[in-house]
Amino acid sequence: MVGCGALGTHAADALTRAGIGELWLVDRDVVEWSNLQRQVLFTEADAAAGTPKAVAAAARLQEVNREVRVSAFVDECSAAFLDRLPARPDLVLDGTDNFPTRYLLNDWCHRHSVPWIYAGAVGAEGAAMVVPPTGPCLRCLWPEPPDATSAGNCETVGILAPAIAAVSAYQVAEALKLLVGSPDVQRGVFTCDVWRGHYARMPLLSLASPECVVCAKGEYPALLAPAPLAATLCGRDAVQIDPGGHSALDLEALALRLGSAVQDLRRTPHLLRFAVEGTIFSVFPGGRALLFGVRDPLRARALYDRWVGRNA
Amino acid sequence: MIYLDHAATSWPKPDAVLAAMQRWYAEIGVSAARGASDRCIAAAREVAAVRQALADRAGVRAEHVAFNSGATEGLNLCLRALLQPGDAVLATAFEHSSVVRPLQALARERSLRVHVVPAAAGGVDLDAVRATLQALRPRLFVFTHASNVTGAVLPAAAMCALAREVGALTVLDTSQTAGWIDLRVGADIWVGSGHKALLGPPGIGFLLHRGLGLSPQKQGGTGSSQALAEHPTTWPEAFEAGTPNTPAIYGLGAALAARDASRQAADLATALARLDELLAGLRALPGIRCLAATTATRVPVASFTHAHFDPSELGALLAGASVHVRTGHHCAPWIHASLGTEATGTVRVSTGATTTRDEIARVLEVLAGL
Repeated sequence: MVGCGALGTHAADALTRAGIGELWLVDRDVVEWSNLQRQVLFTEADAAAGTPKAVAAAARLQEVNREVRVSAFVDECSAAFLDRLPARPDLVLDGTDNFPTRYLLNDWCHRHSVPWIYAGAVGAEGAAMVVPPTGPCLRCLWPEPPDATSAGNCETVGILAPAIAAVSAYQVAEALKLLVGSPDVQRGVFTCDVWRGHYARMPLLSLASPECVVCAKGEYPALLAPAPLAATLCGRDAVQIDPGGHSALDLEALALRLGSAVQDLRRTPHLLRFAVEGTIFSVFPGGRALLFGVRDPLRARALYDRWVGRNA
Repeated sequence: MIYLDHAATSWPKPDAVLAAMQRWYAEIGVSAARGASDRCIAAAREVAAVRQALADRAGVRAEHVAFNSGATEGLNLCLRALLQPGDAVLATAFEHSSVVRPLQALARERSLRVHVVPAAAGGVDLDAVRATLQALRPRLFVFTHASNVTGAVLPAAAMCALAREVGALTVLDTSQTAGWIDLRVGADIWVGSGHKALLGPPGIGFLLHRGLGLSPQKQGGTGSSQALAEHPTTWPEAFEAGTPNTPAIYGLGAALAARDASRQAADLATALARLDELLAGLRALPGIRCLAATTATRVPVASFTHAHFDPSELGALLAGASVHVRTGHHCAPWIHASLGTEATGTVRVSTGATTTRDEIARVLEVLAGL
């Protein structure tokens, strides 16, 4: 289970109660107060203590069903991390909130012939899809990530808890079918809008796209992408983030998207400064950023991805 | 890229340095004193020549020159060799972490009393130095020859003379001065790095002394005295355990050969002229506070801060315009209290003889655009 946010905790809860044999939880972030509205395994005590999400979720799950072997990985889900896993998983579930990580799961799972189930939700809407090793894969559907600046994310747009439950129900049902080898695994993209009462499954041609870099060309761009760099500044409670690769971050669009979700938003011709979650961000054209008030690079990466970088 | 970080490591290196290192890799490939082949003898001759060239810079004997990985290693080794439990040791507020941290570690380990001469009028007050030396009677006075934050050169000759009056040994950290100014200031020990103003490669440094009985602090192979289980106490083998970085010694040798005293002085004048152009421009910009040496002798390093931008923000903004500077505390933890920059540190600029007027103008243009 990659990501222990709203989707991750819903699915992990259901799978643990179902008696899944072994469950690995991956999340680099800590529990915060705003998570409690939708992330079901956490308590006020977890938020007050700032417990790592994977650790808090694993502890709760062991109380639910101690026969399931639950492991917590407080780490960033990178290609190197996936390569270091103690064994190849039977199934990978997407509980992430960004497309770069989904592309990484897509590419890594295809390369290692592991099925995975994409899931995402924002506002009242959600989507999910089984990605079998034979394709079609996520890149067949979306060769490029959806526009980060227009899509919004959990922080800027918000998310309605029942949208999570609806998407998670589909994801967990497909997971159970895959794990027991059922022939009833569904192809296609499940979409829902719980506000408008719209639930649908868009059928997909079972063939992978002939244009797909992964399925057709056997290339794995996400496994080759340079890892973002986070470095603690000498003698400071500050971390510098370099997103790596070629980013074309538009500060104007970022300012618009952040809007009133952050405090003290200030745009100069050369940088965008704002405060959120006890951290002051200075973001530069191209995506480099300084985060003041944080010392742990992993925590800084999580904050950066949530507010600036990879929250498509 | 506009490179204004020569105080960290100089760039570009002279072609002769690259050629000498290439020559070692292509034609030599072995260490001095590790065999009898022609190549080994050639390496021994070259290393001996570089040793002599360094000895000449400080006025010591060649056998009292030890190569090491850099000033950090040299400082660690000599402080460990010299300081005894309960000793008093004097340093200055300008020290780099490569002095501060070994002293702190040794202070805990050996119950040292560490005293610090404060910064005064951009340098040190010699009367205060004399009074402290007489009151403290330290075994050792270790100090940097120049500030790596403001570029102030300390009156090292006078400081060494004062230390000698009270029987204190002096350790001079020449990291910021070797390659810029004369090192013959009467110290007992000189420590430095090859990759800064000397224009050599990283990974090579030196410790020089005027005939002290410094005991080995690292033990290992030396090429000589191979049958002995004990590490030799003869110099320079005493301080050169393990395979030496011979290609870097070749590179440093080429760098030393390329610049005599007059060339060095001319280079310093050029680099200071560029720095002064930059400082003059900075002083004309609103919100900028310059922290530059006012001492008679300077090296081309200075700092500044901005009223509205954090130094790390300025560093990122300049990086966005392909200008390489340094921001933060510059590994000099004690000096920022007197500069009033403890909280954020500074932006540090350091020029070299290759820095051009156009580059300085471009940097000022970027900063003016803020």
